[in-house]
Amino acid sequence: MQDPRLRILVTVTLSVAAFASVAGAVATLVWWACFASRRRALPRPTMLLGVIGMIAATAVVAEISGGAGFAYAIRMIAILMIATWTYADRRDGEMIDVFVWLLGDRIGFEIGLIAEMGLQSLEVIRQDVAQLQAAMALKGVRAGVRTIVPLAVNLIVTQLRRSEEQSRLLSVRGYTLGGRICPKFSTSRRELVISALAVLFAIFALIPVHDIFYSYTVKI
Amino acid sequence: MNLQLEDVSIRRGAFALRCSGTFGAGVHLVSGPVGSGKSTLALLLAGLLTPDSGTVRRSGISSALLSLQFPEHHVTCSTVAEEVRSWGLAPERILAGAGLADRAEDDPLRLSRGELKRLNLACIIARDPDLLLLDEPFSALDCAGKRLACRAIEARKEGITVIFTHERTVLPRIGTLWEMERGALTPRGDVPDAIRRWRHAPPYLEYALEQGARPANIALEDVREALCRIRG
Repeated sequence: MQDPRLRILVTVTLSVAAFASVAGAVATLVWWACFASRRRALPRPTMLLGVIGMIAATAVVAEISGGAGFAYAIRMIAILMIATWTYADRRDGEMIDVFVWLLGDRIGFEIGLIAEMGLQSLEVIRQDVAQLQAAMALKGVRAGVRTIVPLAVNLIVTQLRRSEEQSRLLSVRGYTLGGRICPKFSTSRRELVISALAVLFAIFALIPVHDIFYSYTVKI
Repeated sequence: MNLQLEDVSIRRGAFALRCSGTFGAGVHLVSGPVGSGKSTLALLLAGLLTPDSGTVRRSGISSALLSLQFPEHHVTCSTVAEEVRSWGLAPERILAGAGLADRAEDDPLRLSRGELKRLNLACIIARDPDLLLLDEPFSALDCAGKRLACRAIEARKEGITVIFTHERTVLPRIGTLWEMERGALTPRGDVPDAIRRWRHAPPYLEYALEQGARPANIALEDVREALCRIRG
C-alpha cells in the first residue's frame, strides 16, 4: 500500500479490532489474507515460526491454567500479521510525512521524527543481532541461559549509545523543535476501497451485532 | 594453504558482490571505500555467508577467525576476563598485552570502543588461526594502537591474513594487494609492483610515487625510507 496514511489507518483499526474480540481477530486475518501482499509481508520462516511458537506456548499455558488461551493466540497472530505487513510496506521518511500532514510542522514533525527514528532502529537492531550471531558462531558459543543476559545487555547498551549519539548530532546541527516539509502522497482507488473494507470489518467486529439482533428479536 | 573464490556472487537488494581470486599464505590487504562490499566479503570468506552462486574453496585451512568491524558485537560475557576466556585464552597475558591488566573485572561494555578493539584484536591474533580475517582492524584505534596492531599482524609467520580496511594513514607491511569497488574485487598483485597499480593509494604513497620513489612496501616507514634514498 503506497499511501502511508491509509496503511496506518488500516493498521490501527484492525489492531484495535483484533485486540477487542476474537471476531475482530478473525476479521483482521480475513482482511490480511484477501488484501495484504502476503509473500512479501511475511518475515523469514525461522523468525515467524519462533514468534508463533512463543505465542502458542503462552496460549497453551493460559488454556491449561483456565484462561482464554485460544482467544489470546488468535488475537496475537492477527496483530502479528498486520504488523509484519505494515513494516514490510514502509518507506524511510513516511512517518514524518504522515504526522506533519496530521499535526503540523511542530508537534507533527516532532512525533514523526521520533516514530521514524524508532522504526529505523528496528532495522539497525536486526543487523546487530545478525552480527552477534556471527560473533557467537566464531567463538563456538551456543545461545543459552548464560549468554542471553550479556547479549541482551549488549543490544540495549549499544542502542542507548546510538540514541545518545543521534541526539547529540541533532543538537550539534541546531535542531530544537519542529521542521518544515511538504508531504506528498499518492493514493490508488484500490487502496481506498480496501482501507474502507478494513474499517467496515473493524466496525462489524467491534459492534456487538449479536446484542442488536437479540434486542430486536425480543422487541418483536 | 589457500582460499579460492570462483565466480562468487551475492546480491542484497540493489547491492551485488562479485569476486574471483586466490588468497595464499601471507598478508593480504583488501582496500576500498566505505560501502564497497568489504565486510560482506569478510563474512563470505569466514564462511558466515553463503554465496548465491560460485564456490569458496578452502585448502589446508583448519581454523578461521574473523574480527568484526564493531568490537562490541564480539562481547558475550559480563567481565573482561570472562570475555578473554570465552576465546579459550588465559586472561593475564592477553590483558597485559592489550594494556588492560587492571580492567579484568570490569564490564566489557564499560571499555571505550578503542579499548574493546584492542582487546578483541589481542584475543583473535593470539588464537593464531590458519585464516585470520580482520574487518577494519584499525577503526577506533589511536595512532599508537594502530601501529601496535600493524606489528602484531606483521609478526604472524604462517597462515593467511586478510585485512579489510579503508584506512589510509597507518598500514602494515603486506604481501598482496586487492581493491574493492562497488562490489567488485580486483587483484592488484604482489607488493612492491602492486603499489603502482593501486588506484586509491593513500596520499603519502601517491606523493612518494610522484616524487619518483619506489617504496618496498606500503608502510609509512618504507615510504619514508624510499624518499630518503632518492633524496640522498
